[in-house]
Amino acid sequence: MAHGLALDHAAWASPWRERSLRDKGVLSLGLLGSALALPPIPGGAAVALISVVLLVGPIKVGWGRLVRVVWLPVVSIAIGVATVAVSVGWSSGPTFAITPEGLRTARDLAVRSLAATLALFTLACSTPMIDLLTGLRKLRVPDPLIEIASLIYRFAFGLIENVGEIRRAQEGRLGYVDRRAAMRSTSMAMSVLFLRVWERARRLDVGLAGRGYEDSLRTLEPPRIRSTAFLVGSLVLLAVLIGTSVMWGVLR
Amino acid sequence: MHIAEGFLPVGHAVAWFVVSTPFVVHGARAVIKESKEHPESRLLLAAAGAFTFVLSSIKLPSVTGSSSHPTGTGLGAILFRPPIMAFMATVVLLFQALLLAHGGLTTLGANVFSMGIAGPWVGYWVWKLNAKLGWSRDVGVFFAMALADLSTYLVTSFQLALAFPDPVSGIAGSVVKFLGVFALSQVPLAIAEGILGVLVFRILTDVAKPELQRLGVLRSPEKVAA
Repeated sequence: MAHGLALDHAAWASPWRERSLRDKGVLSLGLLGSALALPPIPGGAAVALISVVLLVGPIKVGWGRLVRVVWLPVVSIAIGVATVAVSVGWSSGPTFAITPEGLRTARDLAVRSLAATLALFTLACSTPMIDLLTGLRKLRVPDPLIEIASLIYRFAFGLIENVGEIRRAQEGRLGYVDRRAAMRSTSMAMSVLFLRVWERARRLDVGLAGRGYEDSLRTLEPPRIRSTAFLVGSLVLLAVLIGTSVMWGVLR
Repeated sequence: MHIAEGFLPVGHAVAWFVVSTPFVVHGARAVIKESKEHPESRLLLAAAGAFTFVLSSIKLPSVTGSSSHPTGTGLGAILFRPPIMAFMATVVLLFQALLLAHGGLTTLGANVFSMGIAGPWVGYWVWKLNAKLGWSRDVGVFFAMALADLSTYLVTSFQLALAFPDPVSGIAGSVVKFLGVFALSQVPLAIAEGILGVLVFRILTDVAKPELQRLGVLRSPEKVAA
């Protein structure tokens, strides 16, 4: 759970929060696309390096927080990569082997996936979800859809705090001392959680209806910095990244 | 466990977006229609979405000693029908990618297909089949949730196998590999999710009977009388 809150906290605290979604989107999505489309070596490795520099540099995530947010995807990638690396055969019963082709695919996959994850973090750690939803509204996504997504976000954060509180209380009562107790505690936590979100939705419905809520919950949007220099710098960085990767492939 | 960011090759990532988009657009239209006809449904849908999202942050104990999380889409499919769940799952997966670092943007199409389309439709068909067979509601909820969860991971295994065929045994061998890895945690997890779903549904029938009747999940008193 802590890593989830760490991502959101990083986004709200980042100095880049003030930057416009357009500027950050071009850079982050450009890096993400490059991680996917360029050869893992050197393209993917370069994307990973640039993303780490941006995250601990101007985005100011900090090494400790970066390690906290990156461990879960790294474990997920490692399990997938290990599965790809091992080959299964059926000649005389199931056989397992590690082939050079499997190892090469696994290495490329690990670099590409880690690079793409770090590129995504440059957006996730600098842009709170509410800013992204505002951006979707500007892209003419219908209001009811934005409203539901915004409400999910608002409900979810209260509930995540509740999950932590319930878990701590249950642990204090030895609620996770063995598998059976853990199962019972988890089912009780889910039921309580559902009741709370249901009750919260009801109360919000009554409160908003009293204020004439009909179609959307518009809020004031704080001004954002749109920088041509930042945009041009991002495009130059991406052009150099793509050009270098292509040249590397041609010269080798 | 969803497919991680950057895990799929470009062609596969694009193809899964193309396959999933019509379902999500259809679901989004259903959500807009529902929220216009019944504005109060907006909060109900948001509550269900938030619950599904928060479920993904609850770790359940599993046989291997590791932990995993439920998907929660089976319950949503029973309550709101699969088309609406295609949109809701897209929002939840987007939040999971950007807030929990779980899944990703480039793999969103593939993850939506497994968790937002395949899982809910399987869960819904099982729920309907159970009603036709006249078995108890608890049995229907249990199998709908457990099989929605299992089918999600079955489809994920196929998606990964298509992208990374085994050099020795091809796509079939790769499917077995990925299914084997997922089965360790997902089979017990699906059973746990089915049991938890029954408990949550019982609470729902106590606290939100009128809403469930309006959604058509429970029969209204007039229909029963008729």
